[in-house]
Amino acid sequence: MAAQARMRNAKVLLIHLGALGAEITKNLVLSGVGSLSLIDDSDVSSQDLDSQFFLGKAEVGTKRLVAAAPRIQDMNSRVELTIDTEHFGSKPDAYYQQFDLVIGTDLTSAEIIKINAITRRFNLPLFVAGLNGLSGYIFVDLIEFDATDEKLKSSVPTALGSVSQNRRITEVVEHYNEEQKKTFETIVTRNTYTPFEKVLREGTFKGKLTRRQLKRLTNAVPLTLALFEYPDGVGEVTPATLKEKALAKFVQLGLPTDQLQQIYVDQFAEQAGLEFAPVAAVIGGAVAQDVINILGKKQSPLNNFVVLDGITLDMHIFEL
Amino acid sequence: MDSRTEKLLGADNYQKLRESRVLLVGAGGIGCELLKNLVLMGFGEIHVVDLDTIDLSNLNRQFLFRKRDIKQSKATTAIKAIEHVSNSKLVAHRANIMDVELFPLSWFHQFAVIFNALDNLEARRYVNQMAQFLQKPLLESGTAGFDGYIQPIIPGSTECFDCTTKETPKTFPVCTIRSTPSQPIHCIVWAKNFLFAQLFASGSSTTSDEDLGTENPEEIKRIQQETNELHELQDYAKAGDESKIVDIFRKIFVQDIEKLLAIEDLWKTRQKPSPLYDIEIGGPVCKDLNVVWSIQEQTNAFVEATKRLMRRMTDEKQIEFDKDDQDTLEFVSTAANMRAHIFNLPQKSVFDIKQIAGNIIPAIATTNAIIAGLSALASLRVLSLIKNSATAKPLELNMAFTAMASKISSHRYLSNPQLASPNPKCPVCSIKRGVINISNNELKNIRLSHLMEAVREKYSYPGEISVLDKSTQRLLADFDFEDLCGKTLFEINIKNGTILLVADERCDETELRCPTEFYIACGTEGGLELPDIEVPLVEVLAPSETPDDDHEVQQSVTAEGAIILDEEEENPRKRPLDEAPEPTSKVAKIDEGEVLLLD
Repeated sequence: MAAQARMRNAKVLLIHLGALGAEITKNLVLSGVGSLSLIDDSDVSSQDLDSQFFLGKAEVGTKRLVAAAPRIQDMNSRVELTIDTEHFGSKPDAYYQQFDLVIGTDLTSAEIIKINAITRRFNLPLFVAGLNGLSGYIFVDLIEFDATDEKLKSSVPTALGSVSQNRRITEVVEHYNEEQKKTFETIVTRNTYTPFEKVLREGTFKGKLTRRQLKRLTNAVPLTLALFEYPDGVGEVTPATLKEKALAKFVQLGLPTDQLQQIYVDQFAEQAGLEFAPVAAVIGGAVAQDVINILGKKQSPLNNFVVLDGITLDMHIFEL
Repeated sequence: MDSRTEKLLGADNYQKLRESRVLLVGAGGIGCELLKNLVLMGFGEIHVVDLDTIDLSNLNRQFLFRKRDIKQSKATTAIKAIEHVSNSKLVAHRANIMDVELFPLSWFHQFAVIFNALDNLEARRYVNQMAQFLQKPLLESGTAGFDGYIQPIIPGSTECFDCTTKETPKTFPVCTIRSTPSQPIHCIVWAKNFLFAQLFASGSSTTSDEDLGTENPEEIKRIQQETNELHELQDYAKAGDESKIVDIFRKIFVQDIEKLLAIEDLWKTRQKPSPLYDIEIGGPVCKDLNVVWSIQEQTNAFVEATKRLMRRMTDEKQIEFDKDDQDTLEFVSTAANMRAHIFNLPQKSVFDIKQIAGNIIPAIATTNAIIAGLSALASLRVLSLIKNSATAKPLELNMAFTAMASKISSHRYLSNPQLASPNPKCPVCSIKRGVINISNNELKNIRLSHLMEAVREKYSYPGEISVLDKSTQRLLADFDFEDLCGKTLFEINIKNGTILLVADERCDETELRCPTEFYIACGTEGGLELPDIEVPLVEVLAPSETPDDDHEVQQSVTAEGAIILDEEEENPRKRPLDEAPEPTSKVAKIDEGEVLLLD
């Protein structure tokens, strides 16, 4: 089957083996991805033991990848596993060209912008994911992607044309299924994507969500985006500066500013960049599922921004 | 502050978490993932209960298990595999959670919360009932393919597991598939998920990881040996050596059956299978996919399909079953039919088998990972461990289910409706519950009539009552059945762990005493002790209506892109499962055919 073959031949690069990287790695290795390259220059800290399972107590102080690699390979000997303990930033742009797909985890927004420019240049699909304590996010840039979905034909045939800002139906083929005695439609949807930098600068919900939807939007979404406004990392986040940036995001996104809740500001200020295993499991599971999908079956992929609010378990997909 | 969890929850809550003892029921697909999450979060003590042993087919998603662990206890192995990062006390129980001797009701009492990571309805229901007896929060979860859900259950305040009707997914024990098939579907599952997977899919099979379903050590040994031998056949398949097809045929349709026949216990109550001795191997094939072929035609087509697959193996290295891939479909159909013939079961056309095999839902590792993550996350709010966050009322808590992956919504990855109030008609949580303590001695002295009298008096039942032993569904007494009333409790087999349902049997009343379930807890001391509970009068309800399923089908099929944002939040008190049926049942309804869940 072609889909399986594509999956087995795919070369995937994963940047950073933190809590999230470990979850994604586990899922991809179990699913039998052909080749997985990990790049991470950090050492095992005692805190890593709270958030990931490829490392052991005895390995604190050694390189994360060196410590984790045997346990990763042990899960599936058929996956071609490569580790690199240099910092990904030290690699020339051409380094990325050998891969079919890039996944970046735990990156600063400056790093995301840089990597995204490279993946765009080489026409590579990019997944970016990160954790902010009880919250987590996924950003996807597949540049352009034709998804094929099968759907039971309803009384109204699916029409060609735009269905949302980033998605347009380009082809609908009807076929009758003899076994089920029903008519199905094979729908090709062209997904276009927006680069991360543009999402950050211009992304908005204006004209996309109804007033009610805007009202019900979890604060986790604007706050996640506000944290990207610390380009070099979240080390300097304070509730006061975060609140200011969040309010600016509310305006950019077209959200009523009176909806900003101090309790969320405090939570995100305190938990920015913090790893937490169950959130990593949800986000890592969603990233891996979508990576497996686009490498194989090619059903409608994530497009293009997902935020989990780990308290209410709200997890929406937004086109930004 | 050293720990990330401590930073997240705050020192006080973290301390509470470190002191909490939790129960995880099941160490399979969801269970492995959940154990990892609970350990990393830092729960003080985690008990894991699972009776199963590890099967080859578990390895492609149950990430704590390796090939070398096959045949080992899941609970024990899972704990060993996560110990290297653990700061928790981990306790494995290789046992059935429904074993009342090992796990009496009082045993469940020690846990702050129970996590269900189960694959069968019976155990789910049982744990739900224990949670109801003890008013213990329960985190329920389940997956089927890409569908998954989590549901916190707060007894007395929210819906329980049995408040909505659940469809039983069809799952089969390994022994039925591997040793004693009794329906054509068993042969199809064997051909697709075992034989095909082992030969061509490099062991990434998705055979059910149910409990083997047999205690017969000879049979268990045979099942395991067979798995290993098939791995050798895989080398033939890989090498593309067509001359070995005869060996493959002889092994699976003759020698393996002979070995089965040698286990005489299996055939005491069953018709014996007949190995395929006198079959020419190779010959013309039938092209009509709508008719049932003769056994010779099956054999010929099997040989041809195997040849084609072997040739493909040299390029493709491994081949997954796909109902639309004619080679894989014919291989599975013919192998299933030959096995059906051997076991004297009806055969089916390739066309029919295509439908059935296409509806077998494999377990997906990522769905399990997501659902286990959500279950662990939800427990924090259930236990009020979130920093600076007001304690949530039970009905403010959220459940969650996959929405995008289940094709219910295109812009929600998850749906997260708030929990609903208990269903007043629920047969499980609408009734009263209590524990009757009784000494082993008194069990032999007290007669059923005496117990009934004590119950009637204590809880003010004015007239006739009936007593049902729930564990065995035996009626012990009612208005025209008094034969057992003179017997002692011991004589009628009431023992530790028995659950008695007492019901008010008066006719033509508008109000009756609420039905009450009593858990019998036996000790060495004391006499008979009835619990101090209030059994209220309740209005007689009309018989419950059957739910209207058609509506759900319509909705979930046409839902893609059509559901508006926040629809289910319009009325937060609306029972969420009405709108989005439990994923397992949804799939079953959409596919309309025979659906089989694996895992």
